[in-house]
Amino acid sequence: MKILVCITNVPDTTSKIEFIEGNTKLNTASIQFITGPYDDYAVSRAIELKEQTGGTLTVLNVGTAETEPTMRKALALGADDAIRINAEPTDAYFVAQQIAHIAKQNNYDLILMGRESIDFNGGQVHGMVGQMLNIPSLSPVMKLDLEGNTAKMLREIEGGKEYLEAQLPLVLGCQEPIAEWKIPNMRGIMSARSKPLLVVEPASPEMLTAVSVFSLPPAKTGVKMIAAEDAASLIALLQNEAKVL
Amino acid sequence: MAKQYYSPRNLKFLLHEVFNAKELTNLHHYKDHDNASFDMVIDAARQIADNILHPAYIEMDTNEPQLKDNKITVHPAVKAYLKAMGDAGMIGATYSYADGGQQLPNLVQVAVSYILSAANNGATMYTGLSAGAGRLIASFATQELKDKYLPKMLAGTWQGTMGLTEPHAGSSLSDITSSAKLTETGAYKIKGQKIFISAGDHDCAENIIHLTLARIEGAPKGTKGISLFIVPKFREENGKFVDNDVITAGIYHKMGQKSTPAIHFIAGDKDNCEGWLVGEANQGLKYMFQMMNEARIGVGLMGAAIASAAYYASLEYAHERPQGRSLMEKDAKNAPQTKIINHPDVRRMLLLQKAISEGGLGLTMEAARYADLSEASANQEDKEKYFLLLDLLTPIVKTFPAEHGIRSVSEGMQVLGGYGYCKDFPLEQMARDIRITTIYEGTTGIQSQDLLGRKITMQNGKAVMLLAQEIMQTIQEATAFDDLKKYSETLQKELGRLQQVIQHLVPFAMKGEYNLFLADANLFMELASLIVVSWQWLKQAIVAQKAILSNNPQGDELSFYESKIHTMKFYFAYELPKTKSYATRLLDTDVLTLTTEKELIF
Ligand SMILES: Cc1cc2nc3c(=O)[nH]c(=O)nc-3n(C[C@H](O)[C@H](O)[C@H](O)COP(=O)(O)OP(=O)(O)OC[C@H]3O[C@@H](n4cnc5c(N)ncnc54)[C@H](O)[C@@H]3O)c2cc1C
Repeated sequence: MKILVCITNVPDTTSKIEFIEGNTKLNTASIQFITGPYDDYAVSRAIELKEQTGGTLTVLNVGTAETEPTMRKALALGADDAIRINAEPTDAYFVAQQIAHIAKQNNYDLILMGRESIDFNGGQVHGMVGQMLNIPSLSPVMKLDLEGNTAKMLREIEGGKEYLEAQLPLVLGCQEPIAEWKIPNMRGIMSARSKPLLVVEPASPEMLTAVSVFSLPPAKTGVKMIAAEDAASLIALLQNEAKVL
Repeated sequence: MAKQYYSPRNLKFLLHEVFNAKELTNLHHYKDHDNASFDMVIDAARQIADNILHPAYIEMDTNEPQLKDNKITVHPAVKAYLKAMGDAGMIGATYSYADGGQQLPNLVQVAVSYILSAANNGATMYTGLSAGAGRLIASFATQELKDKYLPKMLAGTWQGTMGLTEPHAGSSLSDITSSAKLTETGAYKIKGQKIFISAGDHDCAENIIHLTLARIEGAPKGTKGISLFIVPKFREENGKFVDNDVITAGIYHKMGQKSTPAIHFIAGDKDNCEGWLVGEANQGLKYMFQMMNEARIGVGLMGAAIASAAYYASLEYAHERPQGRSLMEKDAKNAPQTKIINHPDVRRMLLLQKAISEGGLGLTMEAARYADLSEASANQEDKEKYFLLLDLLTPIVKTFPAEHGIRSVSEGMQVLGGYGYCKDFPLEQMARDIRITTIYEGTTGIQSQDLLGRKITMQNGKAVMLLAQEIMQTIQEATAFDDLKKYSETLQKELGRLQQVIQHLVPFAMKGEYNLFLADANLFMELASLIVVSWQWLKQAIVAQKAILSNNPQGDELSFYESKIHTMKFYFAYELPKTKSYATRLLDTDVLTLTTEKELIF
């Protein structure tokens, strides 16, 4: 069983987002970067499947050198090796092309990623990769078990859930509760240093989209304290100020 | 509850920019680490704190441990926490490879403990105690005992404790009376009572391992007759675990840190309690003292961590709470209320909290770095130098973040006004939690006597000289920056003041007038703390100033560095001048506490 998990390197949700250079660039200096939370679920399940099947697990990220700590974390958790495609991941099609390019050379049985990244929340890459490799892609997958070459899955759909079965190879976008997030242990952290992290240049640098300018939502205004027994004032505020009633 | 309890940016600043953790990896002992591994360990701690500890903080206080039928039940999050820490290999991360650790520098361990403690200080007692008790075994016990106890303690399945205090022997451990008698199996029969034993019994561990001080029959009186024993709750006999006659006689109903039980246990009531000697007979107190620096740094760190959590909770509130109008508002009747953060007095409280919690954390990390350098430096001279610096700083590291942390949390509560006093916000719990830090691991009174009576005078004042050199180095660095020059000059004068006080007090010790020497040791502690914490702030300000001049930071990043310099200025302006009154008192030989007859206190 050869598993590939594609991970993103995204700002922690508690980070304060700030743009510089005329709102064209994110100020990354004061931001804490983390593995995309949905990707983290994918990594966690992949580690379990790797252990169950005795397979191998590769993690991949399209990103610049600053993303290496995120890759090292996946190696610390239990991935065997990592591939970093040395480019800014600004366009979903471009990222999908890079992943597909690597996947074609390696014949993975299973390609997992998060249902979406939490920076741009595009949720497109898994679909595109499936298309480019001409294999099925499904998302968001909440449960995944393997029986031989068959994947048994639970997927969230509009208003409900569906149970699915499909043959490998597959591309899946994952979400909770597919596995519990794992915490790397000290031994894993130490051994991650000696695991291979391959850096490759992008295959065909074709970007279809580019961000011209960012804008922030209006800042949060102050909190008004209203006594618990004073429901009338609360209703008045909700009607007149917040305009939600 | 407030979402933020610590600042990852500040931790990064201290760890990498101020204390340059990477430098430690040049030492053979730490060579397998790098910055990425440090950051990953810290991130793993954040995950445990965010997912397990912080969500349970209030609940563990509300549902305190219960004693029923001699058994203690604690909040189930304790089990999840112990398992997570055990699985992550973080209980004994600083231990050597041979003892089951990963040789993590203490500097990084402090960062880890800080995050965990800020999230839920009481819960970290469980792991802190196991790590401390395990360290005694790792350092002094036989390989057989190590093999038997360490793996399970470090895995979080067995709980370690420190069994020192007895009903009549708290600060004065030389008075303990628990006894030990050698049997033909090589084990000792233990008899005695211990009180206030934290994590001394609970249902989230399979066994409790008390590192217990006791006297072997016939041992000399006083400190020289105390030995250290492993006394498990269940002992192994023919491959099975049997009751070892350690009975939980009571549980204390504490003011804070309610998540961790403090118990009273009786050992050997049925004459069936066995203990195993750790190291040599009669060396117990010496062994304990060798390990004390680590435990004391841990308590100080806890003070800084609670102060940090309280700071972020009150900062969040101050940004959101509108109340009153600005002092300069001309049209007060019609103007809307302003946020309380705009009132200078609220800003004063916030700045004080920031100065204490971040200054205290910096100080703690400095001591941890000295511990690393004293353990792992290549040459003996460096080892000794850093050990002396560590030994000197330890009582201050234990005391400043605790005593001033209490003040800091109290100011945090004040920022919230009436809400701060109520259970709707976590400040009241934090105020109760932090109170213990000036009491256990040696009260402030005992720490102050240790600082002045032992540490200042040791090796003819060598440690103080070394510290003065370290401070002078920072002072010199600061003079290179126009904006910091004034503060470096101030600190140099203060260092002179400290030396003057020392020169006044030490002769009393030489004349045997210990009363005059130590009566106001507590005030000396205050004086020394002010100067040492100002030194730490100047150190942080230099790094911030350099970053502003050379990295062209923007937005929040620039504000972060500017806030460091501003807080340094605040500490120098609002706190440091207090040295004058302490010095005036300490230089006056008319010590009223020595002349106050008991009858005059009523
Ligand atoms: C919640 C909690 C948890 C604890 N956990 C543990 C634990 O896990 N293991 C353990 O062994 N112990 C533990 N302790 C005990 C703790 O270490 C002692 O309470 C502490 O050392 C003080 O001892 P005491 O209570 O007997 O006070 P005392 O020693 O009676 O002190 C009372 C006061 O007198 C002062 N004083 C005493 N002697 C002198 C002196 N020579 N000179 C000047 N002033 C002096 C002290 O500073 C203090 O202000 C815990 C205590 C508490 C409250």
